[in-house]
Amino acid sequence: MLARFQWIPVFDRKCEKGDASRRRAMLGFAAGATLLVLRPGLVLADELEDALKDAFGMREIRRGRVKLEMPRIAENGNVVPVTISVESPMTPDDHVRGIHLFAQKNRVPRVFDVELGPWNGKAVVSSRVRVAMSQQIVAVAAMADGSLWSGAADVEVVTSDCGL
Amino acid sequence: MKNHNFQPARRDFLVKGAAVSGALVLGIDCQGVARAAAPDGVPEVTHWVVIRPDDIVEIRIARSELGQGSFTGLAQLVAEELECDWSKVRPEYADVNEHVKRGRIFGSMSTGGSRGIRDSQEYLRKAGASAREMLVAAAAKQWDVPAAECKAEKSIITHPSGKSTSYGKVAAAASRLEVPKEPKLKDPKDWKLIGTSPPRFDIADKTTGKQIYAADVRLPGLVHASIVQCPVFGGKLKSYDDAAVKDKRGIKAVVAGDDWVAVVADNWWRANQALKSVTVEWDVGENGDVSSDSIMRFLRTGLDAKDVPVARKDGDAEAALAGAAKVIEAEYHAPYLNHATMETQSATAVVGDDRVEVWVGTQNGEASIASASEAAGIPLENVIVHKTHAGGGFGRRGVHQEYVKQAIWIAQKMPGTPVRLQWSREEDMKQGRYRPVALVKLRAGLDEAGNWKAWHVRQADQSIFNSVRPADIKNGVDPVNVRCFQDNPYAVANFTDEYAMRNPHVPPGFWRAVAHTHNPFFRECFIDEIVQATSKDPVAFRRPLLQGKKDLGVMEAVVKAAAWDKPAAKGIHRGIAVVDSYGSFTAAVVEIAVTGGTVVEVKRVVVALDSGYVVHPDAVVAQIQSGVIWGLSSAMTEEITIKDGRVEQGNFSDYPVLHLAQTPKIEWVLVPTGGFWGGVGEPPIGAVIPALGNAIFAATGKRLRSLPFRNHGFSYKA
Amino acid sequence: MPADARRGQIIEIRTLVQHPMESGFRLNNVGKEIPRHIVEAFSCSYNGREIFRARLHPAVSTNPFFTFYAIADRSGDFVFTWSDDQGGVATVTQALTVFE
Repeated sequence: MLARFQWIPVFDRKCEKGDASRRRAMLGFAAGATLLVLRPGLVLADELEDALKDAFGMREIRRGRVKLEMPRIAENGNVVPVTISVESPMTPDDHVRGIHLFAQKNRVPRVFDVELGPWNGKAVVSSRVRVAMSQQIVAVAAMADGSLWSGAADVEVVTSDCGL
Repeated sequence: MKNHNFQPARRDFLVKGAAVSGALVLGIDCQGVARAAAPDGVPEVTHWVVIRPDDIVEIRIARSELGQGSFTGLAQLVAEELECDWSKVRPEYADVNEHVKRGRIFGSMSTGGSRGIRDSQEYLRKAGASAREMLVAAAAKQWDVPAAECKAEKSIITHPSGKSTSYGKVAAAASRLEVPKEPKLKDPKDWKLIGTSPPRFDIADKTTGKQIYAADVRLPGLVHASIVQCPVFGGKLKSYDDAAVKDKRGIKAVVAGDDWVAVVADNWWRANQALKSVTVEWDVGENGDVSSDSIMRFLRTGLDAKDVPVARKDGDAEAALAGAAKVIEAEYHAPYLNHATMETQSATAVVGDDRVEVWVGTQNGEASIASASEAAGIPLENVIVHKTHAGGGFGRRGVHQEYVKQAIWIAQKMPGTPVRLQWSREEDMKQGRYRPVALVKLRAGLDEAGNWKAWHVRQADQSIFNSVRPADIKNGVDPVNVRCFQDNPYAVANFTDEYAMRNPHVPPGFWRAVAHTHNPFFRECFIDEIVQATSKDPVAFRRPLLQGKKDLGVMEAVVKAAAWDKPAAKGIHRGIAVVDSYGSFTAAVVEIAVTGGTVVEVKRVVVALDSGYVVHPDAVVAQIQSGVIWGLSSAMTEEITIKDGRVEQGNFSDYPVLHLAQTPKIEWVLVPTGGFWGGVGEPPIGAVIPALGNAIFAATGKRLRSLPFRNHGFSYKA
Repeated sequence: MPADARRGQIIEIRTLVQHPMESGFRLNNVGKEIPRHIVEAFSCSYNGREIFRARLHPAVSTNPFFTFYAIADRSGDFVFTWSDDQGGVATVTQALTVFE
């Protein structure tokens, strides 16, 4: 289905900047843990480190359980399909609370943040995103028990390698 | 199967479920590394090198052969370290589908920016060295001797004890060994193959007509398509009426998209003729009034604007100009230009249930596979791209792959039937991705002694990056468009380069040498204006300003080669220019004779080139020759003009290019100074146009500040 | 999304809204940044309870598209709401019939 935008002067529902801190409070905070590298031998770029630190503080982000599917090569990066699938039984005790997508080299590294619950049945989300140039994309899943898991994908954007 | 000289009659395409060229047998070796085999099962020594039992050496080529010699040069880089028998080398395009499945194992496939050799040289030399070490290790293991005692040369491995074997015999064993991570590379002084000019792999077939281009692909059941897109860029298709043609003999279909209509027939001529009889109504959108004049007015707002991004600021040019003893001021302009490749834009595609196969003369295999995948809505893994040598690339066939998408959209209407789409010459001329228009205002301030103390440049031009890679534009400055000014080599104490982006609706693209086609003309001719107002000696003027720069070396080299210091022969007038680009340094002298005040005969062009290293001297010379022709052609006659929002030109009749008979004597001096790797595809062009402009001034006293020169009444001798 | 489902069945919901998603980084024809104008929030409620929420940033493509899943529970309405950074709101309701 397709919805058209209707212009209303007053917000029905406004997203506050406090959402991030609310999420942090909800998921708990483990002081002292450090960010792990997401892949052996591949250190996160500064931009990603900062964005993840901003979102999750110093909590450990483990590698695994999150499958991030994107095409390996994109023509211009304007509309790149992405599917994030997280292994989870999606029960009230054991489910994915949120999925957060980050793009290493986009001017704003945050791409989207999604909240889920056992009512979804499956922790799978698809969308279409902008990849500004060849870079690594990272998806972080926040579990009900407060743990963080991640998966990454490299996307090569052809127009950013047009040979100059 | 030779991808580059594809023999379609023997093939069956994947839609029918037959084996696919490039299909691999992927085995996992003991290190867990997926090693593949060539289609006939011969294992790879590494993914770059396959050696057959009969010693044929298949070297994979990731980039594209556009006539610039990369198919040969890139193979030389591998073969030098591989120590194989060059007579047994057969380059093959790396399969694009395999490349994707193996995690982009062949690296960049982009062929542009004069980067083919210089970007690949290190990893290709390492690839050759690794393979050689593995082959030697395999032989040494067989003989139970230390590898260090063995010698490898011309595909033969020997040991002092008298043992000897060939690469073909140990290749299988070598393929099971670990690939050395950091093999030792030769010192350039020990090169035996790099720096020589073996016969190129592409020339013979191109000369005899055997070469298969994408436009020549013939498959069983092939149909042919011609297309027309909305002539006003950005417009859309409103409606079309194909009643006159759809039942005509040989017409298979009439297909339309957002902004195009195509006719598919049993031969291309029929398709193109029928297309002309289809009544098409366009919604031209908001740019139906745009003309070259309105574009010029638009650019001029960039010259007049108050607050404009600064690309470079040294000292205080404004203050220095205000206090200068003499100020020289000029405006220069350059028009849109078309690539006008010999092979018009074309691609052949066949679409199956969940697969697509494409044949295209692309400058970037990855661009083609990504475009095909997106157009078809089919994953990359199910797309096969066959690269054919391109009939001219020049930057048209890299980032712009719209003809691939169109071929697929048409082919989707007739699954299982291969569709060859070829743009007509008119379509190719009117739907280009043009070298952008540019307008510049230059001001120079000289002191009492005539020294150049201040320089202010205000550029107003169209950004290609804005439409292709906007993320690389920082603070409103297009980093490519400011080249030649922002990175100029002249030691001028007070220098400001300002960049005002002005993007008309005409689609821009990377035309061979990009900003180094017009900016050098603006710069080196403006410098000549300063020279003529002072010492009148363009070489002496530049010397102190280029101290410590490699530009000085090539200037001295061309001065010597062209005997610039001696007076020219009677009736001969000369111009000189110095331009570095794409990592290399060049200088050119153009010698002309002028009759009737306006008819120019270019007698001789001398180019000096320092590209650091030279892999295939003959290929480099060919690039110099073609670069000179490229420059002379656009300088005199080439121009794309806009009227009613659309391109006016349609063919070589109204977009004339240089004729063979007008080609001058071209001389060159290669002065590779080593220690760096510069490109050769585009660098030779930069200095040619300004050197010609300066020669025309020397001959006539007329300073031409816009291109093409025919707009000032000049022409080449017929 | 389907019009009906068995109770307990996991259904796939595909959503699309028309919106330019102007990132704020694109330059106009004289090199000036075009102001940002994006959908910032998207939510889906099922029988009055929120079952999906997304916060969107400029990197979501034009015409934001999201696919997610939900367990069919009782017959009722799915209400989808998008809101952007200029006070614009769009909403669509889709009914689901759940059978045993």
